[in-house]
Amino acid sequence: MFLQQLINGLTLGALYALIALGYTMVYGVLLMINFAHSEIFMVGAFAACLLLRLPWIAQGGILGLFLAVVGALIISALLAMLIERLAYRPLRRAARLTPLISAIGVSIFLQNAVFLLISNESIAVPEIFSATPWHWGAATVHPIQLLILVTTLVLLVALHLFVNRTRLGTAIRAISQDAPTASLMGIPVNKMIALTFLIGGGLGGIAGALNGLYYGSIKYNMGFVPGMKAFTAAVLGGIGNVGGAMAGGFLLGLIESLAAGLIPNGSDWKDVIAFSILILVLLFRPSGLLGKHVPEKV
Amino acid sequence: MNRFRSMMAAVLLFSGCGPREKVATIAVALPLTGDIASLGQGLKRATAMAMEEAQQQPFPGYKVEAEFFDDRSDPKEAVNVANRIASNPNVVGVIGHFNSGCTIPAAQVYARAGIPLISPAASNPKLTQQQLDSSWTYPKTVFRVNTTDDVQGAYAGELAVQKLNVKRAAIIHDKTAYGQGVAEEFRKKFEALGGATLVFDGINVQDKDFNALLTRIHSLNPQAIYFGGDFAGGGLVVRQARGLGEKAIFILSEANYDPEFLRIAGNAAEGAYVTFLGSPPDLLASARKFIVAYKQRYPMDEMKAYDHYGYEAMSIMLSQLRAVGPDRAKIVDALHHVKYEGILGETQFDEKGDTLNKKITLFQVKNGKFELAQ
Repeated sequence: MFLQQLINGLTLGALYALIALGYTMVYGVLLMINFAHSEIFMVGAFAACLLLRLPWIAQGGILGLFLAVVGALIISALLAMLIERLAYRPLRRAARLTPLISAIGVSIFLQNAVFLLISNESIAVPEIFSATPWHWGAATVHPIQLLILVTTLVLLVALHLFVNRTRLGTAIRAISQDAPTASLMGIPVNKMIALTFLIGGGLGGIAGALNGLYYGSIKYNMGFVPGMKAFTAAVLGGIGNVGGAMAGGFLLGLIESLAAGLIPNGSDWKDVIAFSILILVLLFRPSGLLGKHVPEKV
Repeated sequence: MNRFRSMMAAVLLFSGCGPREKVATIAVALPLTGDIASLGQGLKRATAMAMEEAQQQPFPGYKVEAEFFDDRSDPKEAVNVANRIASNPNVVGVIGHFNSGCTIPAAQVYARAGIPLISPAASNPKLTQQQLDSSWTYPKTVFRVNTTDDVQGAYAGELAVQKLNVKRAAIIHDKTAYGQGVAEEFRKKFEALGGATLVFDGINVQDKDFNALLTRIHSLNPQAIYFGGDFAGGGLVVRQARGLGEKAIFILSEANYDPEFLRIAGNAAEGAYVTFLGSPPDLLASARKFIVAYKQRYPMDEMKAYDHYGYEAMSIMLSQLRAVGPDRAKIVDALHHVKYEGILGETQFDEKGDTLNKKITLFQVKNGKFELAQ
């Protein structure tokens, strides 16, 4: 049973981690919590679901699945960039709370738009390949769980290489350290911030698509709780830090699963346990597990 | 500017001093958004329809209208809504709320103001029982047209032990007043009949992932799993349990009798039992006309499981309003003695305000549909 709980926890943690990356990247460059990110995740789930309803994608098997996930990625990425352009960029020089309120506004707007225009009910996500689960001893692994884990790990490595090894990644890091100076060095700050939203939104869209495929149904308000949990994961790992978001996501997923799965009545207590650990970590490491303490710049 | 002022004066004159018709408002408080918005929207349609039908025959000396409020399935919001409703002197009656967790606290607000309340769906026994507490110093203004969970839970407990031969069961609920309440009623009966409860655990429906709890339950090898709660949780629990290879029989409470449960659970729903309070409209001879009228009025919308209760609650309220006039206390008194012949058959309330109709209908999912089970 422990092995099974480990698999449950890793899958859940991978989904948290993918969403957490979006929070952490935006925070890294703008020091802003993008509360609309949970709705970008939701839109990604809807995009994948609607694509899977198209007959030529539904019949495409693995390729169809790939197209649906990529479609969700593109739509969510463009949406995130659009939100940045319309709702955040005009407020770049405003007080720090202003874009935060704008983000909450965008979140409410998107949720209600889907509620009114698409559906107020749960929508079933078509099952593309009804592959039978694999059994390893007492544990059961579904192909979709493996897909979630592999996708998340591949994206993490790709993102890590992008941020640390490419010119664009270097530009983003420069902005996160000091945007005015980066601008003086000839880095197009606005474009790089848009790129950050594009990447974060795309990852959120993939997380949404995978979440829909895994749980089999989607709903207009599905983003709220995973969004909060992922935000928690980002803080736990050290917000602004890509590896930290990943570590925080997996840690939170594992704690939740092991608490609910191994302790009698643990399902009632798992959030208490998870958030107690969060508080303890933050008491001893205020900037999160992998976050670095950055002295205030003068 | 002067012209604007004189216009404003004219507006004030006509609106303030003209002869105004008296208005009697029936407030309808439902979850119009949130997790079970679709059920709330269905009830809104049904209550609006009952109101439109009643309005065709004018009320003597006053106008009657419905006003809709959204409690979002949130008990805190329900109390806010109740306070807003109770502060409107035109309100003579309330239809709502849907969730027991919302209705129980809101009912106190209405009772304090002496406003009659008829719930179309709240099934936790506490809703009407709280009126018998010594701390309840208000008039007994709470009624409901649906059967209660002590009846439903006991029915499911008997079903498990006597018909399905279950000796070991796991019980899951969604931590709401309704879900936990009905799960406890099930447990009471199930254990009284000799069954053993392996697990009694709550879930946060919004978490969506219950694999951890279900893995633990799976390892205990139960013969049946009982779920108390609505389809948002029930559908996911059934789906994830089957995904883990769970073979136990599923018995679910009535808020899972909805097409949305089948959509969320998919093929995993096959074979699951769902108890339903009273009878659905298509099994009631008295509701045939209602079904036809509903389809005509709302050709684009699917009828939801509680719509006939909403229609009946509103119709009973309006019939008593018509009989005794727009006076809260008189309507409350009339409801205590009502014998109403409607789409649910005959409705009468006991001294607590619960309907005397205690029927439970059992369904089993077969080929992706709810079929009547014996």
